[in-house]
Order: sequence, then structure tokens, then C-alpha cells
Amino acid sequence: MAEYNKPIPQPDPHSQPFWDGAKEGKLMLPRCTTCNRVHWYPRLICPFCHSRDIEWIQGSGEGRIHTFAVQHRAFGGWADETPFVTAYIDLNEGDRMMTVLRGVDPNKPETIKCGAKVRIEFEKVSDDVSISFWRVVEGG
Amino acid sequence: MPGPASRAAAIIGAAEANEIGYPETPKTAIQLHIEAIKNVSDQTGIPISMIDGIFSAGWSSQIAEHLGLHPNYIDTTSVGGCSFEMHVHHALAAIHAGIVNVALVSHGENGYSARATKGRGTGRPQGGDPWSPDAMFTAPYGVAGAPSNYSHAMTRHNHVYGTTPEDFAHIAVVTRQWATLNPRAIMYSKDTHPAGGPITVEDVANSRMISWPLTLLHVCLVTDHGGAVLVVSPEIARAAKTKPVWIAGAGENMSHSSMLEMGDFTATSAAASAANAYKMAGMGPEDMEMAMIYDSFTVTAGITAEMLGLAPRGEGFTLWKDGRAAPGGKFPINTNGGGLSFNHSGMYGMQLLVEAYRQLSGTAEDGGFSGDKGKQTSARSCVVNGTGGSLSTTGTLVLVAD
Repeated sequence: MAEYNKPIPQPDPHSQPFWDGAKEGKLMLPRCTTCNRVHWYPRLICPFCHSRDIEWIQGSGEGRIHTFAVQHRAFGGWADETPFVTAYIDLNEGDRMMTVLRGVDPNKPETIKCGAKVRIEFEKVSDDVSISFWRVVEGG
Repeated sequence: MPGPASRAAAIIGAAEANEIGYPETPKTAIQLHIEAIKNVSDQTGIPISMIDGIFSAGWSSQIAEHLGLHPNYIDTTSVGGCSFEMHVHHALAAIHAGIVNVALVSHGENGYSARATKGRGTGRPQGGDPWSPDAMFTAPYGVAGAPSNYSHAMTRHNHVYGTTPEDFAHIAVVTRQWATLNPRAIMYSKDTHPAGGPITVEDVANSRMISWPLTLLHVCLVTDHGGAVLVVSPEIARAAKTKPVWIAGAGENMSHSSMLEMGDFTATSAAASAANAYKMAGMGPEDMEMAMIYDSFTVTAGITAEMLGLAPRGEGFTLWKDGRAAPGGKFPINTNGGGLSFNHSGMYGMQLLVEAYRQLSGTAEDGGFSGDKGKQTSARSCVVNGTGGSLSTTGTLVLVAD
């Protein structure tokens, strides 16, 4: 297998449970135990109610496309993959993640729909880090 | 009724660096700063030694030291291209509070020359924090630079309001019309740039795809630019040899830092910053006679026009499409040719200030201090809006002629 040549995130201490989950193929999300809302990215305080009681829950790994773009210009390892489709995903649990979409044709952006259902998948990019991608499973 | 800080200060001069755009000999950011500062001092007759407050995006202490100044107020707010509108807001507050009398807002950025200098002389640290939210959660997905982010906003606007990239292309076309009236604009003519001169909606649609749905002509230039403005107390403004442009209202706000937290991809915090500015001014969008709107991308300008109350939600682009924003139109927007076709150093908000001063002070008529020929509008009021980051931060000013 070719070495992964795109940016590999360096997990910070506060988001470690997400990265631990990702290695096991699980989407772990921070949720405030006071207001019960899920937020993304991981915080040291709930951005909605400012409680500091935050737990990690396993998410469904399902969501919908909020919006997307097709990158025709990129740098580093991603330059070899243009065009590719980036997207913001509305999680079923609330809040939003960013990704590169799978299961879409970047040369036919008109066939990609905001609102389309997507499911998470993880790719191991180093011994320590797996990152999430989302695949379209059903049209908008 | 205007708030207590309304017109508590005025801009009495706005100048650019000696050379902007694509200099043959690479320039450093500090050089662009210093040229503009010297020029605004010469223009206004206010000696640099009178400056007692210094405002720049990130490196006010270096600028003050370079000038040999020991200012009483040091502001380095650096939140993207709207920083300079915020600096004017902060300077207004500081002058209103009686803390300073002569505030310098300065910017120099070698967006073009940095290629030749290999990133040196930018005044900015290289690289970023690998533990920042974007480094961990967006950069791994190949987004790099503003175009790759802002395209997501255009897609969402198209989805929610049924708009099209061609609707937004009118913004590029009309802004280019303004550039053809400004000899200092990069895209003034075929003489200033091989791709200069008038363009059509088809040209925009057919230009190289950068980040769908944004083609090249939806995207701003990357140039060198330096600019400086002096914000002073009413007493100094009235005694100055140059015409004051009064700060009737100022406001700022932000909706997010990382685009991960952009709640509504069809809106910015300009709705809030403009509400603050209009409230201070005791004026509203109906009182504005022109606008200077940060046009990093066509979509930025279109959405911002909606946020400023100049058009209903989803219809910002119509200001350009129906010609109101064009030369000769009822509501001129981006009379210098904008970031799209005039100049855009990276953080463009300074250029908005320079042009707003130029129009409202009447200093464009005689060739102007910046070398531009021809006053393009007769507007007496202007709403100025900077946008920074990834549609993240905004600063709004309501400026009025004396």
C-alpha cells in the first residue's frame, strides 16, 4: 500500500477520545451532560450552555450533506486527487463535521445534493491516526 | 438618534504605498506600511510624531518601533481582512474616551512579492498550530486557502435561494467596469494586465475552475498593497488642511473562527456589525448613497449586501445584475474596482477605507492623493464592510462627508 501522503492530523489532548474511537471505527462525539447537546469540534466548555460537564458518546455515523464544493486546485498529496468533493456534514446528533465525500462524481457536481444522506467510514492513515470520511448512501 | 460616539472622530487622510499591485522589484510588508504612513502624513500635514495611537493587524509594536514612536494606545487586532474597519471602530472609541487624539491605522502586505521573497518579509509567522481546530479537523481534507472554503457558501446560497453562479458573476462583471475607470487598477485595461478590460458573464463562467462553483473570475486578485489612514479628534479634524470624513457609526461582530462553526452558510455577522453601526449613526441602509463591500469573492459581496440591508435575503446579487451598483447606477458599490479587479493584498479592508475616504472627501477629482483619476460618485454617505477569515468576522462603518 502506498504511504498516505496527505496531511495527517496531530491529535491534541482534548480531542483524544475522538481519535481513540476513530481507530476502532467508532464516531465518538462530545456531548454536554447539562444541556444534552452534541458539539463539534471538541471543546473544554459547552459552547451552548457553558457547562464544563462534557461526556463522550458514540454517534450513529449518519448525517446529511449541508453544503459542498469541488476542489480543482489543492496542495501536497491532495493535488494528485483533484478534482475531489469537500463537504460539511450535518450530523444526526447535531452540529457539523467537515470531510471529503465518497461515492460521488466530482465531474458531475449537479448530481450531488445538499440534504443527501451520508454515512461515516474511517481510514487508517498512520499507526496512531485514523480519519473520518463520509460516503453518500442515498440521494437528496 | 445617534449614539454618543457618533462623529466623535473623523478620518482626515487616506493614502496608499508608492507602488501597489505587481511591483517589478519585490517589496516587503514593512516597506508598504512605511510608504503609506509617510504619504498620509504628507497628505494631511500631520507629523508622524503627533501619532499617539497605533492600530495594525498584528504588529503594531514593530511599526511603532520602526517609526520611533511611543504611543499611548496599541491595538494589534488581527482577525482577517476586516481588521482595519475594526481598528477605526476602536480608534473612534479611544478618541471618544479622550485617550488618544491622532490614531494611525496602517497596513502593508506583500501578497504578490512574497512569492519572489519565498515568504520572507511578510511580517507574519510561517506555519500554524497543529493543534488548532482547523489543523485537526479541516486541513486533513485538502482545503487550502480561502477559495476552497468560500465555495461552500456559494453552493449553499444556490441551494437555499435558487441562485446560480451566473447571478453572482454579474458582481465580477460590474466590479470590472469600475476597474476600467481606475488607472491604478490591475485590471484597468489590456495595457495593465493581459486579462484586463471589460468582461462578460460568459467570461466569468468560462474561466478556469478553482473550487466549484467558483471559477477564477469569481476570485480576488493577490497583489501588494499598503495603506494608511489617520483617525483624529474633532478639534484636530476641523483644523486640518484636508477634508474630514466623519465616522457616523461603527460596529463589529463575528459568527465563528473556523468554518466548522459557520451556522448559516448564507449569512455573516455583518447583519450584527451593521446593526451596531447603523444604530450608532442613527441612520439605516436607506440613508446610504454608496457602499464599499469586501469582495474577496463574488459570493462575499453578494451575501454581505444582504446582511447590510441593501437587498432582501437571497437577492444581494440583483444590485449588480440590474446595474444599480454599476458606474452611472443609483447605488455605486466598490468604485475602485474592488478586490476582484483593483488590488487585493490578502487583507483587503484597508483598501476599502482608502477608497471610501477618496470618494467622500472629493479628493479623487484632482487625481487624488493615491494617483487615481476621476471622482466616480457624488455620494455623501458610504457603508463600508470588511469581512475576515472564512466569512467569520466583520467590521462595518457608516462614513459621511463633511
